[in-house]
Amino acid sequence: MSRSPKLIAAIAGMTALLVAGCSTGGAEKVAQDPNAPLELWARTTPGGDGEKGMKKLAAAFEQATGQKVEVTAIFDDFETKLSQRAAQKDLPDIVMNDSSQLGTMVTQGIVREVNLAAIKGSDQLLQPALDAAKSGDGKTYGVPYSAQAAALLIRKDWRQKVGQPVPTNWDQLATLAKAFTTEDPDGNGKPDTYGLAVPGSTKRGYASWYFSNFLWAGGGDFIAKQADGSYKPAMSTPESVAATKWFRDLACTSKVVQPGAATMDTPPTNETFEAGRTGMYVVGPYLLARFDKALGKDKYEVVPAPKGPKDATVLAEGGSVYLMAGSANEAAQDKFASFAISPEGQKIGMEGEKAFIVQLPVNKTVDIATVRNDPRWKVYADAYRDGSRYAPSIPNWTPVRQTTADTINALIADCGLDLNAELTKLDQKLGETLSQQGIGAS
Amino acid sequence: MTASVKTPPPPTASTGWTRRRRIGQWWVPWLFLAPALILFLYFKFIPMAQAVSMSVQEVRPYLGNTWVGAANYAEILTSESFRSATWNTILLAIGQTGGSMALGFGLALLVEGQTRKLSFIRSAAFLPVVVPMAVVAELWRIMYHPTSEGLMNQVIGLIGLGPSGFINHPDTSLGSIMLTGIWRGAPYDMMIFLAGLAGIDRGLYEAATVDGASTKQRILHVTLPGLRPVFAILFVLAAVRGFRSFTEVFLLTNGGPNGSTEVVMTLIYKLGLEQNRLGVGSAGAVLLFVATLVLTICVQLLRRRRSA
Repeated sequence: MSRSPKLIAAIAGMTALLVAGCSTGGAEKVAQDPNAPLELWARTTPGGDGEKGMKKLAAAFEQATGQKVEVTAIFDDFETKLSQRAAQKDLPDIVMNDSSQLGTMVTQGIVREVNLAAIKGSDQLLQPALDAAKSGDGKTYGVPYSAQAAALLIRKDWRQKVGQPVPTNWDQLATLAKAFTTEDPDGNGKPDTYGLAVPGSTKRGYASWYFSNFLWAGGGDFIAKQADGSYKPAMSTPESVAATKWFRDLACTSKVVQPGAATMDTPPTNETFEAGRTGMYVVGPYLLARFDKALGKDKYEVVPAPKGPKDATVLAEGGSVYLMAGSANEAAQDKFASFAISPEGQKIGMEGEKAFIVQLPVNKTVDIATVRNDPRWKVYADAYRDGSRYAPSIPNWTPVRQTTADTINALIADCGLDLNAELTKLDQKLGETLSQQGIGAS
Repeated sequence: MTASVKTPPPPTASTGWTRRRRIGQWWVPWLFLAPALILFLYFKFIPMAQAVSMSVQEVRPYLGNTWVGAANYAEILTSESFRSATWNTILLAIGQTGGSMALGFGLALLVEGQTRKLSFIRSAAFLPVVVPMAVVAELWRIMYHPTSEGLMNQVIGLIGLGPSGFINHPDTSLGSIMLTGIWRGAPYDMMIFLAGLAGIDRGLYEAATVDGASTKQRILHVTLPGLRPVFAILFVLAAVRGFRSFTEVFLLTNGGPNGSTEVVMTLIYKLGLEQNRLGVGSAGAVLLFVATLVLTICVQLLRRRRSA
């Protein structure tokens, strides 16, 4: 074979591969089969408690309706694997995932709109949870099945040792954090304790995720919704600047945040609280079981997040049942979502010490105290109902969270940076992101 | 570059069997290569081609991709984050390549020899290469603890320095990742140097000794020229490795603080897999591939010119 035919063959091969790489397609109506089993994907660790909880719920649903459900637990690269199935036009029927994934999934066209009339019991859902399942166009694309908010965890023994009250505002929080850092609350004679645990890494936007509890309580915001439904960047407003400055001063001026926070995501941060290196931590209820085991229930207390300059708003999160596009059994999808939010489904989801998948119930008629006889859960339930807020449902929240995390991370890592200049730069970037998504205010 | 055209030797009166062996069964080597080639085709070449096609589209796996032409390239080339990530990648690649080669060469000179003790030391020195990067990164993250209690801070404290923030401060973060990379890459380079050292004619050393050359002169005039091809291979391998740095950065700093350690690979990961903008991420991946290809070709051309 001379050179030119080889070359032609190579080019032809590449072209064929390129053509293979291009996919065409679109959502098509699939023929319905009322007996088709449901394939359910949950973003949880395979073999872990979350998977056990999902299987328990699926088994109860099967017993109640006779409808088969196959549960698959995936944690790493969940969204990537879902994209692969989307490319094959073979999506699972149900996806149980973070409520904040709504915008991304709607943009990709992989979820179908939820007809609330077809979901029995949807009128009993808590309004904030239901609102979080709506996209920017006001249509509902998910059914919330679990909710959670953040509260403040404090090392009770340390607090008693330094003789300070439970903090109810930011000043008291800063004072207590200072005492934990300087007064040797663990009594080991070494200056190795810190006031506040902060997962300040940029990974998955952790720094921004954690800071939202303080930003909103301070009256600031990442992006502000306008009257016409568009959004404006809001990180350089006076309230946002003040909240960022206060948070940054904890790390840079009073130095009450654990060292290395700028490169820590949640696992090492959780360890600092467990190992007696940090005395306060603002987190959701999902860590209680872990900390009870590591520290003991008596060692720490759960209290509402202290009030900021505006109020005590904390981040609300949760899980949603997503009804995926292209399902051959839409009736069963609706039935499963109805079961997940029914009082029975909610209770099954909450039962157990570890293998529970419902943190706080989203059904108004379900009282958490009837299932979990633990007053700490009531603190979380109150925080969720009285002063919590979800991330806004924009087409893609991830870039906003990530860009903000980059800046917050920079500010706590480099105390010499000009805060106002960085936040102005951040607003420019956020403006570009919003424009890219077609929701930027002109 | 000059290409000399060689005329084939006139056919000899060889038997038909040898001729068939020489030119007939052309498919035999391909048969041996086939298993690897099939795996490479499926897991490497087809995905690479798909990345090229994705880089000119807005990727929507379910709804179908839409053609956007050079828009993804325009976006990534004009973004400040890509430019700074490129710069960081180049710095990291140069630092890790130079550092690993220098340290690897030093180690190779120290552990070259035949005794059993040395082979044990060689194996021990090679350990960082076989330890999974995730484990290495986690260990170094602990060692880089930014207070005076941290192991590395205790080490530099012995000479009166520190405590340093290491990976937690924008001024020292890239250097810290570089150090981790050098620690891990040097033993690999050491092994290749050892192979190269074994190929140098001992007679040259003896002649140099007879001529009264010192150890330094022997290294300079015998060892280094003898290792020239090894340097070229290592340079390409190490530079490509440096360009593709991902795991250590992702696990140690994830590109922070303040973007000081963001490299092209972590940026591609964020754009493609975290933000679901696979088209823009693919454009970045294609650009990285082109840069690596250009670098490799340049090194090959330089080598040929030198040896011509």
